[in-house]
Amino acid sequence: MRIPCPYCGSRDIGEFVYRGDASPVRPAADGAEAAMFAYVYLRDNPMGRHEEHWYHTQGCRNWLVVTRDTLTHEIPSARLAAPLNAGDAV
Amino acid sequence: MGDGLEISEVTGLGLVAVMARKGVGAEAIGQRLGLAPGLAAPATPHWVGDGALALIGTGPGSWLARSEAPTAEWAETVIERLAGLASATDVSASYRVFRLSGGDAARLLQRGAFVDLATPAFAPGSVAVTVIAHIGVIIRQIDETSFDVSVFRSLGESFHHWLTTAAATL
Repeated sequence: MRIPCPYCGSRDIGEFVYRGDASPVRPAADGAEAAMFAYVYLRDNPMGRHEEHWYHTQGCRNWLVVTRDTLTHEIPSARLAAPLNAGDAV
Repeated sequence: MGDGLEISEVTGLGLVAVMARKGVGAEAIGQRLGLAPGLAAPATPHWVGDGALALIGTGPGSWLARSEAPTAEWAETVIERLAGLASATDVSASYRVFRLSGGDAARLLQRGAFVDLATPAFAPGSVAVTVIAHIGVIIRQIDETSFDVSVFRSLGESFHHWLTTAAATL
């Protein structure tokens, strides 16, 4: 499998580290315990498109949000998790 | 088939790792470092500049500034010029840089690197931060037939072993 890094281009999966689902958002500190439990532990296991965090450890050393199809491994898009500047094309 | 290969080592380089602060663009970095007028630090995996000062793109907002035959104060000057714009660290002693030249240079590298090194995907001016034989490398194409490959100094011997072993089978 290859991942299209927005900076480096198409790269072998061995250059990356997988972190997991990119969609959970940390709840407010004063939120309910149940919300924090869900944020830390509960994950969906979808068939089809999934947004994931990957770290390009052997390349540009940036966190990416990669959209991957869990059935076909097709990767329609990948972007920097935290663009450096608002106007950055990548 | 190419026409030979020469492996040498580039020594005495000045190298400074540069990471732009939030919101600082490539133009500002190039301008502050006094690249040729209008020449920005590359925002893509490429390098610009010359022997006196080159900027090698290693990631979004990060570069390796490089100078051949730097003065004793060179790294300190670069760091001072970038004050407020970027975090900069003197890494001159951190890398060993191997120069591969000849028609077989690209062929040799292509045996180790899982990136497309053929023109036009990769050309003079291109840079790739990747891995060869489990060793992190920065590949920089200089002209049609020569490349610089930088590796962390402690892995230099291991990388040189890979170079010579792989070159023997060309």
